[in-house]
Parts: sequence; C-alpha cells; structure tokens
Amino acid sequence: MRPDAARADRRREVREAARGWRRASAIDDATQAAIVEAYPDDRVRLGPAFRGLAFVFTGLALNAVFFFAMAVFRPNDAAVVGSLAIVFGVLLCGLTEVQVGAWRRADGGTEAATALVGLGYVLIGAACLTLDARLSQRAVQSWLFGLATVVFAAAAWRWGMRACAALAGVSFFLLLAQGPRPRLLWIAAALPAIPALLRLSEHPGWPPAHRRSGEAVLGLALVALYTAFHLGSWDAGLVESFTQGGHRLRQSPLRPAAILGTALIPPVAAAFGAITRRRLFLDLGLAFGIASLITLRFYVHLAPLWVVLTLGGGAAIAAALALRRFLASGAGGERRGLTADPLFEDPARHRALEMAAAMAAGPAARAPAATDRSLAPGGGRFGGGGASGEY
Amino acid sequence: MAAAVTRLHRERVLSAEQAALFSRVARRELLSVGAELRALLYGGVLVAMAGVGLLAEQNFERIGPLAIAGALAAAAAGCLIWTARHASPFSWREAPSTHFAFEYLLLLGVLLVGADLAYVEATFTPLGDAWPWHLFLVSVLAAALAVRYDSAIVFSLALSTFAAWRGVSVALLERSVWSGIDTASSLRVNAIGCGSVFLLLAAALVRLDRKAHFEPVATHAGWILVLGALASGLGRAPVLFGLLLLLAGGGVAALAYRGARFSLFALGVVGAYAASSALFLQARPPFEIASLWFAATSLAVLGALLVAHRRLRLE
Repeated sequence: MRPDAARADRRREVREAARGWRRASAIDDATQAAIVEAYPDDRVRLGPAFRGLAFVFTGLALNAVFFFAMAVFRPNDAAVVGSLAIVFGVLLCGLTEVQVGAWRRADGGTEAATALVGLGYVLIGAACLTLDARLSQRAVQSWLFGLATVVFAAAAWRWGMRACAALAGVSFFLLLAQGPRPRLLWIAAALPAIPALLRLSEHPGWPPAHRRSGEAVLGLALVALYTAFHLGSWDAGLVESFTQGGHRLRQSPLRPAAILGTALIPPVAAAFGAITRRRLFLDLGLAFGIASLITLRFYVHLAPLWVVLTLGGGAAIAAALALRRFLASGAGGERRGLTADPLFEDPARHRALEMAAAMAAGPAARAPAATDRSLAPGGGRFGGGGASGEY
Repeated sequence: MAAAVTRLHRERVLSAEQAALFSRVARRELLSVGAELRALLYGGVLVAMAGVGLLAEQNFERIGPLAIAGALAAAAAGCLIWTARHASPFSWREAPSTHFAFEYLLLLGVLLVGADLAYVEATFTPLGDAWPWHLFLVSVLAAALAVRYDSAIVFSLALSTFAAWRGVSVALLERSVWSGIDTASSLRVNAIGCGSVFLLLAAALVRLDRKAHFEPVATHAGWILVLGALASGLGRAPVLFGLLLLLAGGGVAALAYRGARFSLFALGVVGAYAASSALFLQARPPFEIASLWFAATSLAVLGALLVAHRRLRLE
C-alpha cells in the first residue's frame, strides 16, 4: 500500500472504534470529536449506500464502454480481442492507482469497481490469448488460476482490498485443485498457511487493510482444510471434481481420517477461538460444527428428521441461554475474557439481518391455479427456517 | 489500535477507566460473543420451527390431529406466558429489553401460534373457503404482540404475514373482482396495494408518535413491494410500468435524499434507472447504441451521485 493510504487506513480504524465507543455511550460527543481531530481523515469516502451505487454504476459503465468499443471495431480474432481486453484492464488498474493515489479515494466504490473490472478484463484477455495456443483445458485452467492468484494478490497488497485478497485465495485453492492429488495439496497448503496467516493478520506493522485481507485468506484456508477433511466432500469427491469429474473416495483406506477430521476440526477451531478470543475461529468453528452435525444426520439415522430438528433447535436455544448465564455470572460479567454483553459493535447490522430472517420465516403466499387441489380449504402453509409446513 | 488508545490516554482525551477498557478490547483480552449467542438463539428458533412443521406434516396419522394441535398450542402458550411474565410495562415508545432471549422466545411463540392455526385450519377447516383469513388473523395477532412487547422482529413478521394473506386471497376470495385480469397482474395490484398500506402505516406511526421506531420496517417493506411490483410488470407492459416505475423510483430517491435515508435512496435510484433503461430498450436500438446508452447513463448517474454526496457533505 502507498504509505499515505496506509496511514489514512490506520486513522480510519481509530475513528471507527471511536464511533463504536460513542454508540455504546462509553465516551461523549466531545471525546469523539477530540479523537476525530487527533486522527483526521484526508480521504474522499462515501457511505455504504452511495458506495454500493457507485460500485454498481461504475462497473456497468466500464463494461458498456468495452462492449461499445467491440461493437464499433468488430475485431474477429480472439487474439485481438484478448489483447484489447488486457490493455483495457491495465488502463483500469492505472485508473485505480490514480484514484487511490492522487485523488485520495478510499471506500468510494469507484476504485473497487475499476480494480475488480480491470483485473477481470486482464484475466479474460489472458484466457482469449490461450485459445490459439491449443493447450489442454486443464493447462488453461491452471494458467488462469495461477495468473488470477498473482494479480489479485498483487492488487490486495497494493490497494489493500479485502475482496481482491479473497479472490486471490479462492484462485490459489482452485489452482491447487488442478494438481495430481488436489485434496492432499489443499491440506498441505492450508496446514502451514493457517499459522502463518494468523501471524500476518495480526502483525502490528501491517496496516489494518492488509490485516483484514490476511484474515480473509485465513478464513478461506480454514474452509479449505475443513472441506478437504469433510466426510461428505470425501465421499462425493468434491475437491477432485474440479478436474477429474467427481472421483469418489468412499473406498479409500484413509476414510477414517476424514471421519476424524469432520468430527474434530469444528470443536478444535471453536475451542481455539474461545481460548484465544479470536472471533474468526470461533465463528467458523460453530459453522463447521453445524455442517458436521448435518453430515452426522445424513450418515447416521439417529431419529426422524422432525425430532432431530426440534430437539436440535431446542438444544441451540438452551445452549445459548446457558452460555449467556454462565458468562454473565462471572466476575464483571465475563469469563476468561469472554462476555455476552455487547461491547462496541453496531447492533443495527444484526437487527436488519434478524428482521429479514423473520420475514423469510413467515408463511409463504401462494396464488394457485384454478385446477390446483390446494385451493381446497386447508392449503395453508406455515413454518420457519425452511420448514415444509404444508398440511 | 492499542497504541492509539495509549496515545489518547496520554493526551487526556480518554480517562484511565476508558483507556483500560478500550485497551483490553484492542489487545484481544476481552471479546463479546453476544452476537454469536443471539445467532445461536435465533437459529435455534428457526430450526425448531422447521422441526415443528415436519412434525405436523409427517405424524398426522400416528399422533393424531388433536394431540398435535394441542402440543403446538401448549408450546406457543408456554413461550407467550414466559414473555408476558418478563415483559416491561407497555409504552408507545421504544422500551428496553428485559431479557437477552425475550424477543426470540416471543418470535417462537408467534410462529408456533401461526403453525397451530394453519394446522387447525388445514385439518378441521373451520374457515372453509375463506381459509386464507387465518393468515390475516396471524398477522393481526403478531402486530398486536409486536406493539405490546415492542418487537421490531415480530412486527416485520406481521407485515410479511399480511402480504402473504393478500397473495393467497387474490386467487381465492377475490377472483370475481379480478376476473378478466391474469393472476400475475392481480397479484401485482395486490402487492402495490399492500405496499401502499405499509407506507400509510409508516406515516401514521410517525404522525401519531406511536411506536415510531417501527416506521423504517414498514417504509422499507412498503417501497420494496411497490417498486418490485412495478418492476415485475416491465415484461408485460414496458411503457406503462416503465413510466410508473420511473416516477415512483425517482420520487423515492428524491424524498429519501432529502430525508438522508440512503438505503431507500439507493432503492429509488436503482428502480428509476431500471425503468429508464427498459423504456429505452423498448425502441430496440442496435447493440452499439444500447452499449453507448448504458455507458453514458451509468456515468451520468455516477456523476450525479458524486455531486449529490458532495452537497450532503457541505450541508
């Protein structure tokens, strides 16, 4: 990142923290104003709604410009189209550099759009150029995923964009999936990457944008590790299906390792997250745990599905209440540095999600056809969380 | 971050207590898992409801309808009695929550009541051909409980249930009214009507200062329904619905901009742009001209957005 952009990013982090402190009434307006004055903003930023709109309309405009040029000049050679796409993409990357640098834009939507669309055109152009090279499909995919890993990683490093870091991580694991033993490669890459990325994502010398990027790739590495061990993915040959068309591993002698991994990775990740107070590990551990429980129900018929769901839901409610009570009963409402009380996060974010989920949990409206038997009385439907509540 | 807290304390911007707390959070010595616990609680409610749905569907013969209806009623009553016992006194204003699980158990209770009513209606058919009215009953009950116990989540459930009732009743109760009009169009009209009701409700909440903090839920749901319904008509009558959507989207964007409500502003801008593009594409322009249209208009919208944002900053 440019030094001035990194400095601005550090200041932004402090201002954002101060906003959270103020929201929780931990400081007053005067203190917040003093913090904003001590850590001023020299960037041109947009709020979330404007940023989203700017991103969408910039992306639309850039694509339309390219399509307009193609429609006017009508190049009929893939190599020419590819070269033009690469030139266009590089120009957009240059425009991103100008926005982040001289124009001092950050969180503006436009610079993210020019970066992502530009890198997309570079990759599309590279793909067009390989068409004439008569390479195998696997070689083309390997080349493109390798290139995508490099360009997205470079973009994440230069502009501090977390989306680019995540795309670099995805491209990297897709590149590994092209290899001879993709599952082994995923495990071999993820295992050393997790501690390394953990260290880097908390390195105080890195600006917050780089730390967030590192955290995004760390999350991807954890997901890749769990997917590589997951029993369902193992039996379905999910990782192998990227190149070999669903090569199943159900008969593999290493299958017990997959069973162990499916059972152990979630509690280990969640426990590590809880002990070291790392939210990413805690949240992913919980998500993996839910996935593993669903997998268990798939392989072992413990009870009818309605019993499993009702008891599982009840157990989740009981666990949340018990954990809350356990944490609140500790000294100062905390235990081992974990508290159930809200600290400085924005509750509005959660509320919007909860309200959207409540709307989804409501009854589904239907407008049946005249011959539909469900027009008869009793065609109602009610049920939450995807329940098939048709009686 | 920890260094910044130390500096702010040194410069006496933060007190010692404040610095100690913020520093603990910055150094990852203190972490709130409140969001995770809420997600677990909410997920539990939804998963349990999914199980209840399957219970009623799959065990009709074995357990018997009365037992199922009774069990659902008992579970719903349990949740609602608990919430009644833990509720704070009624207020037309925002009331502080008395318990971490309060709103989620209230939601579970309302969902169980809805499931029970739907099951009773499906099994014993007390409403006959008017069976969709059970959805109306649920929406009224949910709205009443949302107001009494000050729950925006249950209020949003009430609105979605009301919309579901309108969707169902179009095909059954109002067929004669809408005869000659295809179902999709009648649903569209109902969606617009429903959205308008939500918008009027939102205005009334603010005007009367009764649960005014519910207003954003009703306003957003209302405009999403109205704009979505108009957009759904673009394929059938592009000029008519295009013009209506342009007017509505532009109006929402203008009003939202003046009121600094940026999520609504974004909704209006997208709606108006979709309408204007649909109207333009009605002329079936060649590909070059269409590309030019999207390039020029997107850049124009972008420019307008940046100017509007600058004005906001200056104000």
